[in-house]
Amino acid sequence: MKKALAILVIVTMAVSAFAMGGKDGAAAAAGEPATIKLGGTWPLGDITGKQGSMAAQQAVDEINAAGGINGHKLELIVIDDEMKADKGASAFEKLITVDKVDMLIGGMASGVALGQIPVLKKYNKVYLATGAASFKVEEALGADANWYFHLHPWDYNQGASYAEGWAAIQEKYPEIQIKKLFLAYEEGAFGKASYDATKVLFGADDRYIIDGAPFKSAALGGGDYAAVLKAAKDFQPDLFLWAGWEADALPLLEQSKAMKFNPGIYLGAPPGWPADFGASSLANNVMLYGMWAPSINDISPVSKKFYDGFVAKFGIEPATYFAPLSYSAVYIAADAIKRAGSTDTEALIKALAATNYDSPLGQTVTFTPSNIIKHQGVKNQKILQWQNGRQEVIWPFDAATAKPVYPFPAW
Amino acid sequence: MANKRNATTIVAILAVVVLLLWRPTVIIYGLQAAGLYATIAIPMGLILGIVHIVNLAHGEFMMLAAYATYMLCQSLGIDPYLAMIPVAIVTSAFGFLVYKLTIRQALKAPELNQLILTFGLGIAITQTMNLFFTSQTRKMSFGYVSASIDIGELSFGVYNFVFVGFAILMVIGLRLYLTKTTAGKAALAVGQNPKGAAIVGIDVDKTYGSVFAIATALVGMMGAVFITRSAVFPTVGSPFTMKSFCLVAMAGIGNIPGILGASVLLGISENFLKAFRSLRGWSDIVFFVLIITVILGRSIKGKKA
Repeated sequence: MKKALAILVIVTMAVSAFAMGGKDGAAAAAGEPATIKLGGTWPLGDITGKQGSMAAQQAVDEINAAGGINGHKLELIVIDDEMKADKGASAFEKLITVDKVDMLIGGMASGVALGQIPVLKKYNKVYLATGAASFKVEEALGADANWYFHLHPWDYNQGASYAEGWAAIQEKYPEIQIKKLFLAYEEGAFGKASYDATKVLFGADDRYIIDGAPFKSAALGGGDYAAVLKAAKDFQPDLFLWAGWEADALPLLEQSKAMKFNPGIYLGAPPGWPADFGASSLANNVMLYGMWAPSINDISPVSKKFYDGFVAKFGIEPATYFAPLSYSAVYIAADAIKRAGSTDTEALIKALAATNYDSPLGQTVTFTPSNIIKHQGVKNQKILQWQNGRQEVIWPFDAATAKPVYPFPAW
Repeated sequence: MANKRNATTIVAILAVVVLLLWRPTVIIYGLQAAGLYATIAIPMGLILGIVHIVNLAHGEFMMLAAYATYMLCQSLGIDPYLAMIPVAIVTSAFGFLVYKLTIRQALKAPELNQLILTFGLGIAITQTMNLFFTSQTRKMSFGYVSASIDIGELSFGVYNFVFVGFAILMVIGLRLYLTKTTAGKAALAVGQNPKGAAIVGIDVDKTYGSVFAIATALVGMMGAVFITRSAVFPTVGSPFTMKSFCLVAMAGIGNIPGILGASVLLGISENFLKAFRSLRGWSDIVFFVLIITVILGRSIKGKKA
């Protein structure tokens, strides 16, 4: 009986597989153009990664609804990298060898990207990366990785753009003057790297006096900021910057208020913000770094199209800039494939290198060399400020949606 | 023995006085941290002391309660302190259900199996919440959390002292329950000798179930209060499981007032190191140093006896 059941199962599976193959074969025989496959990895358990994949799918659906690419339908295959390097590497191996994707997109964490680099180097598959800010990834890639296109700014790009932004803001608004800068950073790799980069970029020409201290993030079981805030208060900074996780955002403000710590500029640099952060009265006039905010809809029709489409499709707002970045990646890939007229590696690299895409980030994306790689997309972050529950762009001035409110109001 | 205890008390009082004069924030923030640690660890100590099981899903129960409070407060526009009682009831019912469906089945299993079971429960709860609520953090803002006092040039927050109050109330309440009520006395008897308790007619299973329900109700209450100071996200409870377990181990199994003492020792030690910039990075290690010292000391003492 068991043997008969086993044979039945095997036969059923074989018939199903044949039927599926037959369907593809029938499509090919009928002369239907083959589907162009994009493969991407994101950490789907994390809202930033999840929304990145959702926004990429939104772009794929929009492109298909508009007729596809040169008559070909676009397909997105997503694998969860679980924010683990080994999972990310095996996901790329599968996408390239089993799913036979035409191009890779996506990604978020630098640690995962480092794990994926050996696979990329093995196959030289064209990859449009939306994440990985660490310069270590660029070092691991080397100058020969001409198939690697990096959309997200490197950490040193970000640091340089902050220094440039604050210099420009002080010049345009003379009432804002920054001499002393204090960085409260979470004690992990992210926070420590932010502190090191800040010291190098802001402390280079003695323009700023910099101090900083670590704290244990609430995301890792911490959440007591008294010691770091005491150090900051004693230093009396003009600009107080904290680099941690979104779980630290409101508790830090609450404890700052309790300790009557009132810097001229209160700036947070977490990867995302808690839901409804803007609804808290404490959030008003907090500054932040980022690449995108819904307020950019006011100045960019592409941003508005992305935002409206995302909300209509998923019923929620994009939580971080990774959503518009991933959305952009699909459009940039589709545009390059269209111009190349094929998915041949060399043709695709050439077409991608000539990208000129008006993105929802409120800026045009082109690829130019960075310190090591040849194809770096966005090179700057923006300086924004929470004003009446909205993130407003303060700098760059050509993308500004509001003027800065200064100083940070006393408690 | 009494002289030794008196000497220890005098040294402790002197240390507190010196710290209050020299670095008052060590005592202030140390006690606040101790209150938080103790309120979360005490329910775990109750379960370990009576049911004799290490609940590695302890922090996840608190996280569930925090989410329940958040949803209730958001939908009804009420304060977490008002939501505390309904949330405690729901968490207690959930805890009782979990006990009946899973933990009860593993009570006679090897301890490793019990650990794996509760560890697995913790992961399942975290991942389920991640699925429904995503990893995005949620935080409600309450004006009273920023209440502060100025003494000279020192401004410090006083809100976190509520956790000290809750910890003391928990210790007193549990002591009264365990020594003055029939159910509590039965629980104490079951904790000391389950077989003997069964022989004299105590329903051991029912007692275990009720203790589990009481402990999860307390965790539920603390989950509600927890969201006033902290953000909520699926992994928020995990670090507290480990901290609670270590505090319970430091205090000794079944020693609920001892958890309060261990928390004070830990809170003040951590904040002592945090008061010095060069030593701040060591504040996490002091936790493990204390545990190793206390457990090693107890073992050596036991050997000598």
